[in-house]
Amino acid sequence: MMTPMLMTALALALLAGPLGCFVVWRRMAYFGDGLAHSALLGVAVGLIAGMSNQIGMILAAVLFAVMLLWLRTQRLLATDTLLGILAHAALSFGVVAMALLGFEDAEVHDYLLGSLDNVSADSLVYVVLGCGLALGLLMRLWPGLLLMTTSEELAHAEGVPVRVYEFLLMLLLGIVVAGAVQIVGILLITSLLIIPASTARLIARQPETMAIGGSVMAALGMLGGLPVSEALNVPLGPAIVTLTVAMFLMVLSARLLAERLNLIN
Amino acid sequence: MSEPLVEAKHLNVRRQGGLVLDNVSLTLGERDFITLIGPNGAGKSVLLRHLLKLESSESGSVIHRQGLRIGYLPERFQIDPSLPMPVKRFLALNNKLTNDQIVELAAETDCENLLDKPLVGLSGGELQRVLLARALSNDPHVLMLDEPAQNLDVSGQLRFYELIDALFEKRQLSVLMVSHDLHMVMNSTRQVVCLYHHICCSGAPDSVARDPEFIQMFGNEMAQMMAVYQHSHAHDHTHDHDHTHLHEMKP
Repeated sequence: MMTPMLMTALALALLAGPLGCFVVWRRMAYFGDGLAHSALLGVAVGLIAGMSNQIGMILAAVLFAVMLLWLRTQRLLATDTLLGILAHAALSFGVVAMALLGFEDAEVHDYLLGSLDNVSADSLVYVVLGCGLALGLLMRLWPGLLLMTTSEELAHAEGVPVRVYEFLLMLLLGIVVAGAVQIVGILLITSLLIIPASTARLIARQPETMAIGGSVMAALGMLGGLPVSEALNVPLGPAIVTLTVAMFLMVLSARLLAERLNLIN
Repeated sequence: MSEPLVEAKHLNVRRQGGLVLDNVSLTLGERDFITLIGPNGAGKSVLLRHLLKLESSESGSVIHRQGLRIGYLPERFQIDPSLPMPVKRFLALNNKLTNDQIVELAAETDCENLLDKPLVGLSGGELQRVLLARALSNDPHVLMLDEPAQNLDVSGQLRFYELIDALFEKRQLSVLMVSHDLHMVMNSTRQVVCLYHHICCSGAPDSVARDPEFIQMFGNEMAQMMAVYQHSHAHDHTHDHDHTHLHEMKP
């Protein structure tokens, strides 16, 4: 039982590192939250349409991204507001739909906070395959994405199709959300993206080191969180996130101490 | 007459009800150095963005010569501090430049000593020189600069305009620049285009300075100052290489 879980967790950690960096660099934290909320709706839709949870969640994420991008071009409301509307609409629709479909409260709870029971050997194939494809795509897009994160105008002027890239980045985030919902839960997915990347930021001088560092931190959090959750019988998502926060605080203290001692500037 | 590098024909751009660009046509040929001036909100940046094809207009067209490479220095550049990006890495982003080429490029815009520094934390002048190097990284035929010296102090401005002059001579490229620094612009023999939604006047600085529409826009005093300035520096106008007039102005 532990092996598919571990592999799923490691595949997701690998992807969460670099994608988490973009969430931090491009200030997409709220977007990530909204995307995660839409996953609950995805579960319900997937069940109705007879598809797997992951496919349903990715579809919901795509729908969410398209709605957001389209609403944003209308220039009627701020992106922040639009995200608020979309995220909570998706969450509410999702919970209502799941209740109508006869989900138990405990099952909904597992989606919100993650659970060891959520991961099965069947879904492992999906998740590992999805993460592999996503990682390949991300590496291909990497230089262009970095340039447009540095300056969207420059990237545009130099021929990077920024709108396409932006959408693909959202799609990649959707994939990571769909995979990670089972483990860390909807409420905490954004933290799995942001906290490891932020920890790596404290020691990185290059974008790539920050991305790889993020993956390592996320993997450590997952690897530690699984046994902790099982041994103490606490929800999995919060256990993982607690560990990543602990690592963040340790690295932060070390950095502040090093600064104080003038070891780094 | 060789084919123009960039040609805008009858551009009309409407924003929030008002006409920002009103039937604007502009041609940039090889070895042209055009400076776009005009009051705030005249549509200078909008025109530049259309010439770059960053935006498209409802009527009119922008044609780039086949295979045209443009180096662009945007008006605003703000990088999130959470992104660790050394200057060297920034110059090599999304292209295939080797380390040696990067160093050479940086030397050309006087920023080789900045290569290992993070982009965040550069001073205004340093950042502009790095951005200029980035604009040159694709070996462009045209440099398009949007108010490149607006956040620099006077000596920084002088230094930056000298740099662009030197690049114009050395690289055999064309330059299209939006600028607010009338005293710098009018000091050169190059072509000035004065924009206020439509093209009010264009030509050499001294003829533009005498144009009634220019005088109305920037004030008689300014026009007179330009005329005096032009006159007293007339000896410089035959050769672009000589920058002594710039040095004389240093405080």
